[in-house]
Amino acid sequence: MTAGEFDGIDLGCVIDSLQVGIIILDSAQRIRHCNRWLTQRSGLSASAIDGKPLYEVFPEAQGSRLEQAVLHAIDDRLPSLLSPALHGTLLALYQTPGDRRHDRRMQQMIHVVPLSDKAQQGACLIQISDMTANISRERLLRQQTETLRRTTTQDALTGVANRRKFDDVLASEFHKAQRNQSQLALMIIDLDAFSRYNTHYGRERGDVCLSEIAAVLQDAVRPLGDLLARYAGDEFALILPGIDEREACRLAENLRLRVGTLGISNAASNTGYLTASIGVTVMQPSADADTHTLLSSADVALYQAKHEGRNRVVYFSAEDGSFKSYG
Amino acid sequence: MSLNELQRDALGEIFNIGVGRAAASLSQIVSDEVLLSAPEVMVVHREQAAKVLLGAELNQFSTVSQSFSGPFDAQAMLVFPESNALEIVRLMVGPHMSIEELSEFEQEAMCEIGNIILNACMSSLADIFHIRFESTLPLHRFGDTYNLPILDGDEEQMVLLLQVDMIISQQRIQGHILFLLSVPSMSALLDHIDRYLSSQGLA
Repeated sequence: MTAGEFDGIDLGCVIDSLQVGIIILDSAQRIRHCNRWLTQRSGLSASAIDGKPLYEVFPEAQGSRLEQAVLHAIDDRLPSLLSPALHGTLLALYQTPGDRRHDRRMQQMIHVVPLSDKAQQGACLIQISDMTANISRERLLRQQTETLRRTTTQDALTGVANRRKFDDVLASEFHKAQRNQSQLALMIIDLDAFSRYNTHYGRERGDVCLSEIAAVLQDAVRPLGDLLARYAGDEFALILPGIDEREACRLAENLRLRVGTLGISNAASNTGYLTASIGVTVMQPSADADTHTLLSSADVALYQAKHEGRNRVVYFSAEDGSFKSYG
Repeated sequence: MSLNELQRDALGEIFNIGVGRAAASLSQIVSDEVLLSAPEVMVVHREQAAKVLLGAELNQFSTVSQSFSGPFDAQAMLVFPESNALEIVRLMVGPHMSIEELSEFEQEAMCEIGNIILNACMSSLADIFHIRFESTLPLHRFGDTYNLPILDGDEEQMVLLLQVDMIISQQRIQGHILFLLSVPSMSALLDHIDRYLSSQGLA
């Protein structure tokens, strides 16, 4: 059996047929051999590569993690993996001449392994796989996941969270408050006489109005932590972790004023413009409490606000059954 | 089998040289400072090591493993609670990904990070002891405590356990490095440490 043969099979021919890039380095980091895949993707001829120092052929590899990995393989005999997520387009390799003109490098996964070649000609094997297709597929999947997630958690009309998202976040914030023994505030914001508004101005105007109000409410809440959701037709709910009664009521009053000062005329209302009633509650949930108590307390507060003549904020405490009115 | 104070200090120092080099490599990749330290080395039995890992709040793990062979053989593993691993990848690859969607892409990144840290530890040992190892390529797995490789295998295996603290972008992330060694491999390791200590005039 001669060098380059195995059971009469020409190994050079086998290496040239591989669908991965192969570079074999000697212990002085000179390229002893590269395969056809590599010459095609690098745009270099075999004679321009063979025998040359690695960094003369691929200057972009100098000072990179590939250089460290090569040293690791030659000096320490340890293998390395260079992932596309962290290095991506490390070497100037292209799928087509067109990609080369536009400098669109292929995404690469690189394995660097030591060779134990008795003749000492080959000390290190660099193997390069083209990951471009995998990565664009993953990118597409990720975009689709993102779109799906948005559509399953967002209210289509107003763009705020929908009921499903609200239920999820309420459950997890409730659990968090139980664990951390912290306070959790909840408010339900109901537009006064909104069904009559819809009857009077038409559903289309009603929809525009809901979107406007959602935007005003969203603008007033903390972007991280708080969650505004469309709870029912003309009801919004707001989850506020770590907020006490005073802060919650001050925010609710602020929201009530914001809705009122939008100046959306409502001929169906006594005031002549669109207003909101808000039910507020705060609790520090005990280990055996459930979200039902919190939700029904906010409901009780809202009912009281309606009962007292609308366009106001009412706070209800589940602890002592007391009400406080604002506005 | 246990480590005396000198042996423990020597191993601790060797591994800290290793993780220090790994931190330099990781810093270069992300063009930001990554700090790594391994404050303590312990030799424990397999069950004890499992207990330390199980002591963590979550029982979902990310493991990167490589098998090293040479004057002594060791199965090396970098183990992070799953959420910590995701945090590392998120900090290193970019903040655009959410925790539920760790794809192959990020798994490979975790695999590389483990490869850098494990190779650095073993080559630090190899440098100091003037020995050489061979190794398999790294393998990344997610799993719960029930299929952690540490829980099956030879009853007699010993574990060299290091806690590892990683700091990226001001966030401190904890994990463990484990080296599983057979009893003969462990005694070969101890021999190398003793030889090194006596060459330094320390034992």
